[in-house]
Amino acid sequence: MICMLFPIRCFTCGALIGDKWEEFKRRVERGEHPAKVLDDLGIKRYCCRRMFLSAIEYIDGVLMYEKVTMEKHTSHY
Amino acid sequence: MPVEVKVLEKRNNYVKFIISGVPVAFVNSLRRTIIAEVPVMAIDEVVILDNTSVMYDEVLAHRLALIPLKTDLESYVLPEECVCGGIGCSRCQVKLVLDVEAKDGDLMVYSGHLKSEDPAIVPVSDKIPIVKLAKGQRIVLEAYARLGRGRDHAKWQPGLAAYKYMPKIVIDESKCNGCGVCVQNCPRNVLEIKDGKVTVSKLLDCNLCRYCEIVCPTKAIRVEHEDSTYVFFVESFGQLDVKTLVLKALEVLDQKCVKFLEECEHAIEEFKKE
Repeated sequence: MICMLFPIRCFTCGALIGDKWEEFKRRVERGEHPAKVLDDLGIKRYCCRRMFLSAIEYIDGVLMYEKVTMEKHTSHY
Repeated sequence: MPVEVKVLEKRNNYVKFIISGVPVAFVNSLRRTIIAEVPVMAIDEVVILDNTSVMYDEVLAHRLALIPLKTDLESYVLPEECVCGGIGCSRCQVKLVLDVEAKDGDLMVYSGHLKSEDPAIVPVSDKIPIVKLAKGQRIVLEAYARLGRGRDHAKWQPGLAAYKYMPKIVIDESKCNGCGVCVQNCPRNVLEIKDGKVTVSKLLDCNLCRYCEIVCPTKAIRVEHEDSTYVFFVESFGQLDVKTLVLKALEVLDQKCVKFLEECEHAIEEFKKE
């Protein structure tokens, strides 16, 4: 699932998942097993779990372009 | 058969209970009422004053709407039932303001940045990311939260509710040879071997898949379900606590039944007149 930013609610059941994303990302990047992190966060249903496992955020990529164009604009003035 | 409720598990936003002595239609209507009829707060209208972020106004508004808000059902009414006629007054809507600017470097905007005019109506969690801003980007907006029902939009869904029939596993002791094939194959580890015979150890974990029936070489096991006994669970998304959620659902259901009766009586009266 490719998205600008991680979704706030699970697409299937509607449960709030957005607030748990940053902790999940941080811990998985540190090398913890995703399944264990999801268990710790209390994400039980597989609909919510796949939201975490399959998420790809691209906002940082967009922001990169944004920064380049903004620098250009400011240099004109 | 008398109606009985036995609570199995109760946590912050979760309750699991066994309900017996009611028809399946009742449990299902309770489930549907919880999911789609109990009013909760959600952002319904957003006035965007400034948005230089990378996210389009409508995407931003959609993300804001999905943030669950703690709800106070005593102080607020549904817009359509309000004295103002749904235009928007202090009885039926709450204003939340978001005013953020990334002054030095990237800034993640969280639900905690939303400032509500009513301290009782705030996001369930302060850590929900809304959008990320690059240096110099700015968002200024006013959001109006209103009560609404899950049947109109998923943002107003207060929680989840589901039930299953109470499982009943019948083992024919004369046929069971204690081979243990069912124990190995059960996906939920419901069964175990005791003194050379199969016994049920975790009945509530059974999801009635009947795989044990299929694999049993002697056809000694049979999976059935109890009549009018159900395992019911309710999970709240945080807007209301589970107790209020279930009680409010029952209240809504009760009102619907009363309304239905009134309509029926009215129809009979009309019929008699003709």
